[in-house]
Amino acid sequence: MRVALTGAASFLGGRVLRRLAERQQQDELLVVDVAPPPAALGVRYRPLDLTEPAADQKLLDLLREEEVDTVLHFAFFTNPRRDQAHAHELESIGTLSLFAACAAAGVKRVLMRSFTAVYGARGHNPHFLTEDTPLHPNPVLGWARDKREAEQHAASFARRFPEMRVTVLRFAPLFGPHLHTFYTSIFDRRVVPVPMGYDPLIQLLHPDDALEAVDAALATWPRGAVNVVPRAPMPLVGALHLAEKLPIPVPHPVAYAASDLMWASGVADAPGAFVDYVRYPFLGDGARAKREMAFEARHTSKEALFAYLAYRYPGPQAPRRRREAATATDVEASA
Amino acid sequence: MSAGDKVVGIAGARRRRLHARSEGRVPATGPDLEALRARIDALEGELAAARASGAAPQGLLVALARIVQEGLSGFGWASLARTWREAYFAYHSEDVDDFGYDRKFTETLRPFFEFLYTVWWRVEVDGIEHVPEHGAALVVANHSGVLPYDGLMINLAVRHQHPGRREVRMLALDMFALLPFLAPMLGKTGAARANPDNGERLLRRGELVGVFPEGVKGVGKYYKDRYRLARFGRGGFVRLALRTSAPIVPVAVVGAEEIHPVIGKADWVGRPLGFPYFPITPTFPALGPLGLLPLPSKWALDFADPIDMQGYGPEAADDPILVNRLSEQVRSTIQRMIDGRLARRRSVWFG
Repeated sequence: MRVALTGAASFLGGRVLRRLAERQQQDELLVVDVAPPPAALGVRYRPLDLTEPAADQKLLDLLREEEVDTVLHFAFFTNPRRDQAHAHELESIGTLSLFAACAAAGVKRVLMRSFTAVYGARGHNPHFLTEDTPLHPNPVLGWARDKREAEQHAASFARRFPEMRVTVLRFAPLFGPHLHTFYTSIFDRRVVPVPMGYDPLIQLLHPDDALEAVDAALATWPRGAVNVVPRAPMPLVGALHLAEKLPIPVPHPVAYAASDLMWASGVADAPGAFVDYVRYPFLGDGARAKREMAFEARHTSKEALFAYLAYRYPGPQAPRRRREAATATDVEASA
Repeated sequence: MSAGDKVVGIAGARRRRLHARSEGRVPATGPDLEALRARIDALEGELAAARASGAAPQGLLVALARIVQEGLSGFGWASLARTWREAYFAYHSEDVDDFGYDRKFTETLRPFFEFLYTVWWRVEVDGIEHVPEHGAALVVANHSGVLPYDGLMINLAVRHQHPGRREVRMLALDMFALLPFLAPMLGKTGAARANPDNGERLLRRGELVGVFPEGVKGVGKYYKDRYRLARFGRGGFVRLALRTSAPIVPVAVVGAEEIHPVIGKADWVGRPLGFPYFPITPTFPALGPLGLLPLPSKWALDFADPIDMQGYGPEAADDPILVNRLSEQVRSTIQRMIDGRLARRRSVWFG
């Protein structure tokens, strides 16, 4: 098996690359990306930009030359991009080019990374989203729209080229050590605005579980989409309290408008439409992963949250702790 | 021990711990898991003790006293967050089930619910023995009263009068499950959104599931249409029961129609706010928030013989004629029980 990997610079792509590099012959692994992987891994690297006009032809030549039979497609943005046009070129059009090249080169297996957020957080969703639930993200949210288009390309190529096995893993939001995203940064603040009168269940997936799921998928190659979710969800407000944050309820129309304003002025990391995801639940159902990949997450959402917090606030040097110590001295002084 | 002693006791312990930390005797780690757990355990113990001694839970009192005390020694986000957190976990558990059911939160609200059950509406229950002792079953009732109090009362009736002390997981209308405040409240007290998938999951776990097939047509009907059952949806609840072979227990709720008599509707007000309708009652919105107070009618819940689904098999769910017949059978059973109860009732307020 010769494996090509895109998106090696992403968090999950990088982890998968490292894990495969530990396990496999170096010449069986190929990174196809705009940036080279860490030299220490010693894996082969072919530069390619999926957004350039003739990317599909270039990738096709490359796949043929290297006799690749397995492609792992991890080139997706977790954080919303200010350059929406570029994100669209990479995620939607880039995925189209990738599948076109894979189909033409006779690649046998393609694994694509996706997100449970692509289902969209809507009040009318079923409580547990199974893989056949239609994808209905908020139409104004380019971040989710591009990922849904990528999923549609994957489904379409899987239908037209049945000899190519296409597996799509829809990961719940990753949460754990070494992760820095727009949603983990919520937990870096002391005061967190939350939509007033809403407290959805959230799923936080430990990165170790995500890697196990990739392993399970590489062993079983189920056809179509599979949710990868943690063992148990938890309520959003409870999570904020466990993380010692101060949740401030804000009426949701204000939350949408204020986030949009802050995004437009460059203060916030995400546009207002993301408020959907803290207003309504989007819980993936893990039954298919269990049935077809024998995968079940080992961590709950709470464990993933604590793993992140332990990484983020490692010891006595955390600023919050210093403040507390100072307050304690004040108390003693006044007493 | 008085409430005041307890407050000082906790604050003193915290001050000692902080003092110890500032001197470097206790290693301060990030979000201190052990300390957090210990603190929550302590609060839980305190809550249990308070309940055992018959006193009201003191989480809020403790929190208020803490705020005053913190205010004396300088106020910061960290101390506010801590106070807020302790108040939160006095009423919420750390772990909920995958539908969001929070037992501790439900326990907190229980005294209020029980007041409604025993004092306000003096719920009279008949035929509770028809609810199966264990295993899945679908409790089907008529829906009325603008806000879903009827589901709550069915839940309490089964919990109190039934020998199995079972919990009824209600399937709440989408409109309730989408409204701010009501949505998390329903989820935390064990309700789930009304859709076939949720119902099937709960039934397959062997739970008792409650549904109101009339839906919004029932709960928001005019006062002049009271106790006339609306159409029972499209029989989805029967298909649910057939697929899971769960027996159906019809329930008639009498008394809920009078708690919020709807004399008019101003849908143009409700729509932009996310309500499918906006009820006008003699007290709402004329009296403002006071108009949300339900009237103290006398309630009766009648449970009928369960309708067994074992004989049909799951494939019968695809037979629309059978589904409709069973749906009509349940509807007429409930209507008959309601009519019987109304004929015997002499007063709306005293039964």
